[in-house]
Amino acid sequence: MADSALPAPGTIGGAIDVTPHHKAPGTFLETLHSWVVTVDHKKLGIMYVLYALVFLLVGGVEALCIRIQLGRPENHFLSPEVYNRFFTMHGTTMVFLMGMPMLVGFMNYLVPLMIGARDMAFPRLNAFSFWMTAFGGLMLYYSFIGGSGLYAAGNAPDVGWFAYAPLTARAFSPGHSTDYWTVSLLVSGVGTIGAAVNVIATVFCMRCKGMTMMRLPLFAWLSVVTSALILMAIPPLTAAQVMLMIDRYLGGHFFDTLAGGSALMWMHFFWIFGHPEVYILVMPAFAVANEVIPVFSRKPIFGYPAMVAASVGIAFVSLGVWAHHMFTVGMTSVGNAFFALSTMIVGIPTGIKIFNWLATMWGGKIRFATPMLYMTAFLFQFLMAGLTGIMLSVAPWNWQLHNSYFVVAHFHYVLVGAILFALMGGICYWYPKVTGRMLDEKLGKWGFWLLVIGFHMTFDFMHIPGLLGMPRQIYTYEAGRGWDTWNLIVSIGAFVQAAAVLLFAYNLLVSYFRGEVAGNDPWDAWTLEWATSSPPPEYNFVADPVVTSRRPLWDMKHPEDPDWKYE
Amino acid sequence: MSEQENHGHHSDSIHLPAPTTWPVVLAFGLALIFLGIVTNPAISILGGVLTVFGTVGWFRDVLPHERHVDVEVEVMDLNIRSTRERVARMELDKPGRYAPTETYPIVSGIKGGIAGGFAMIIPAMIYGLIAQHSIWYPINLMGGAGIANWTDTSTANIAAFHWQGLIAASVIHAITCLLVGLLYGAMLPMLPRHPIVLGGILAPVLWTGLLHAVMNIVNPVFDQRIQWGWFLISQVTFGLVAGWVVAHQSRISANRNLPLAVRMGIESPGLMQHDHDEKSEDRH
Amino acid sequence: MSAIPIPVHQVDQPAEWTQPYKGRVGMYCLIAAESAIFAIFVVAYVFYLGKSMYGPTPGQVLEVPIFNTICLLSSSITIWLAEHALEHNRIKRFGAFWAVTIVLGSIFMIGTGMEWNKLIYHDGLTITTNVFGTTYYSLVGLHASHVIVGLLMLLAVLVFTLMGHMKEEHAERVKTLALYWHFVDAIWVVVFTVVYVIGR
Repeated sequence: MADSALPAPGTIGGAIDVTPHHKAPGTFLETLHSWVVTVDHKKLGIMYVLYALVFLLVGGVEALCIRIQLGRPENHFLSPEVYNRFFTMHGTTMVFLMGMPMLVGFMNYLVPLMIGARDMAFPRLNAFSFWMTAFGGLMLYYSFIGGSGLYAAGNAPDVGWFAYAPLTARAFSPGHSTDYWTVSLLVSGVGTIGAAVNVIATVFCMRCKGMTMMRLPLFAWLSVVTSALILMAIPPLTAAQVMLMIDRYLGGHFFDTLAGGSALMWMHFFWIFGHPEVYILVMPAFAVANEVIPVFSRKPIFGYPAMVAASVGIAFVSLGVWAHHMFTVGMTSVGNAFFALSTMIVGIPTGIKIFNWLATMWGGKIRFATPMLYMTAFLFQFLMAGLTGIMLSVAPWNWQLHNSYFVVAHFHYVLVGAILFALMGGICYWYPKVTGRMLDEKLGKWGFWLLVIGFHMTFDFMHIPGLLGMPRQIYTYEAGRGWDTWNLIVSIGAFVQAAAVLLFAYNLLVSYFRGEVAGNDPWDAWTLEWATSSPPPEYNFVADPVVTSRRPLWDMKHPEDPDWKYE
Repeated sequence: MSEQENHGHHSDSIHLPAPTTWPVVLAFGLALIFLGIVTNPAISILGGVLTVFGTVGWFRDVLPHERHVDVEVEVMDLNIRSTRERVARMELDKPGRYAPTETYPIVSGIKGGIAGGFAMIIPAMIYGLIAQHSIWYPINLMGGAGIANWTDTSTANIAAFHWQGLIAASVIHAITCLLVGLLYGAMLPMLPRHPIVLGGILAPVLWTGLLHAVMNIVNPVFDQRIQWGWFLISQVTFGLVAGWVVAHQSRISANRNLPLAVRMGIESPGLMQHDHDEKSEDRH
Repeated sequence: MSAIPIPVHQVDQPAEWTQPYKGRVGMYCLIAAESAIFAIFVVAYVFYLGKSMYGPTPGQVLEVPIFNTICLLSSSITIWLAEHALEHNRIKRFGAFWAVTIVLGSIFMIGTGMEWNKLIYHDGLTITTNVFGTTYYSLVGLHASHVIVGLLMLLAVLVFTLMGHMKEEHAERVKTLALYWHFVDAIWVVVFTVVYVIGR
């Protein structure tokens, strides 16, 4: 660091990286080797996101097959066995191999940059975590070809993504398909826990000078909350899966009702993981919104402490709502009332967040670039998803609609309408930082509108067959129940969405080679990652940054009116 | 936009963790151990060997000192001074445009609630004396929820004296009066012009609405025996007295000229004007 | 806009900047995750108490392992004494207490092994026998596996100490490892209470 005297008031001392870059591009093998042995959080973050995008396409193809099968009544596009495998693999893939790696990738790439650190707290653990996640996903898909199954097409898991007992018992699920599900999620779960430990340690111990917890960018704050939730939620799943393995391999009786075990316990254990998991997935979406909305509204985030408090509040409440997935199994009325009320309480901190985002946009000079478009859609769709969530939290309503397509539509509204939209917006926002090139704005807007149309075609209309009584996970249905037209519209919408996702992927590829050069700070943003070059050098910051407010780059650009004057 | 003064270059060296093979070896080994469970034990054994190698290699990487590489960089130091004078600010509403500039403090609502609560006792007692010839009747009705063994619900029993009923009724009455008073006080800044009218109408509506919604659950006996005419008289007494008390409190500035975030106590940089005499209305 | 510089010098810089040791934070996170796993197994054990269709029951076969428990819990004290010694750069004293800790932990493991031996060959209780067997061996086995991992790591430190590589500057790392050992002991208090006090 420079030893020059402190700058006068109204000016700010900065450092610019002028290191000459004269690295010759290595051979293909050298490049590959450098990526495999890397401990750089940026490379690992990119690998996480690419891995997630690949599985987004794979899981998307499975979804399309499911929709073709359900597009018409009494259809036989897939065999019943393959259909069962596909919906199981679609759910498992999208949650464990697409959603979680994507968000871990975002956290990995951005958190050290945002807090002014050179790397994660445990760089080697970081690499280990990524590879565990990656091998877990590969192992799950290896079951398609390598499962020692009885069927010619291999033997992928077919017990639903929640793998309810007693279907998973040896008697009902012979072969190794269920074991593939168990061990691969165990392996990738270890990776996820490692990543969560790393993020928390990074934020608590690696912040640059002046970056107090109350100056932390909200993205970093929500990463901490997400990671804490991961630490609380993934271990119960791991524990339950260990129990399942004990049952299946060692002849234990955890979920064996004949010997006094309880299938209900699996449901409890699974949803103790499963419900916080929803918040693990949606928190990073909130985190992206917290960064993108202020920048494109040209206003600081409204109610920063309230946002932090609401995030922590959601995390706490989410640990106590799991049995709202189980209203139909027959709990006591006290249990039903407790879980209905605790579920509704989630609405309070979530509402605070939505109002804060609206208040951030209110009166701002909003620029509707592609990232902001995604965020606007996210706000609207997340609100809708939350409202159907409140409906489902009412136990009698839930008794009527449990395991129907209404529930499927509700959680896809959260997972696609909120999370996928926010993450895609986040990719659009940080793509210039990661690659040094701008995404094509025209293609981006086309992709966005196509996705909006496809999304609403699919998931708005999916509520209706649910209300008309169509259960989830069914292979096919009779004509003339009033479900036919709705299912056809839903299936067409799925293809529109697929086109939008392909367009998005095409845009990512094309812009990497032909995009406009982005420069350090294309969006005129305020967090530290935009102070370094695009893509950032391996050491992130040439000098250790010092911050005095929540928006260090605002202070940098406006020394006459810095934020720290108001803190 | 801003001036940058160059202060010359200097070189620096940055420590970074060295790339390493061991994490991927260890992860592969562990994954193979698990894969062996579903395929062939031989794969588990291979995984175990790789795990041991990975662990030992990893230890040798970090002990006794973490391995690192040094990266040489060139830094240019500079100072930045802005050439701009001002930043566009949100224009805030002129004071008094939507609401009066003065209002009553929230505490005045609580004071009104306490006074109204005491005043309310009088019509309730009169009702008890006239209707059932016992002042304990309304008290026991209200306290019914607080007595766990309230099984005999005959009129004679309700009209008799029960010390549990008195305690429970007093607690319920005091808490509810405080809460309604607080609610009333919190709503005062919205409609601060006519506290007596507001208290006479709004407070009974609030009170009756709250009680009506929950009465069947918390106090079914009371719900069955309720005399809505007398009930309303009690409510209006409460409201009028509470309003009168509030009207005799001193007013405070409503702070209408501050943004919502500031009034809520949420500090929000850039929104708050640093000094009030400087009106920055120029945008650019 | 041209390149944005990295902010380095500003007015009102904070005087000093201290953050927690990352190893410690990481270990606390790991402990939180492990606690969640143990919580699920403990809940399962408690839920399945008395649900077995056939014997043997806990009351018939379990004996309270008082000696084992004393050994394991006192190892928490010796490891604390060892940490303390290292902080004051008394390496020999550190090595001695560290070795005592390992011995105490090993006694606990041997005790558990003998207990299991008796349960399996004398009482005929295995993991497949009944629900009690399943939950008992999983919960106690999970704890025992943590003790084994802990012992291996303690052993590695002892080897480094005997080779003369241990210095005062490693105190933070050693304390982090000791934190794990304290956690294993604390979990034993829970397991002991649930299995041998409430469950019998």
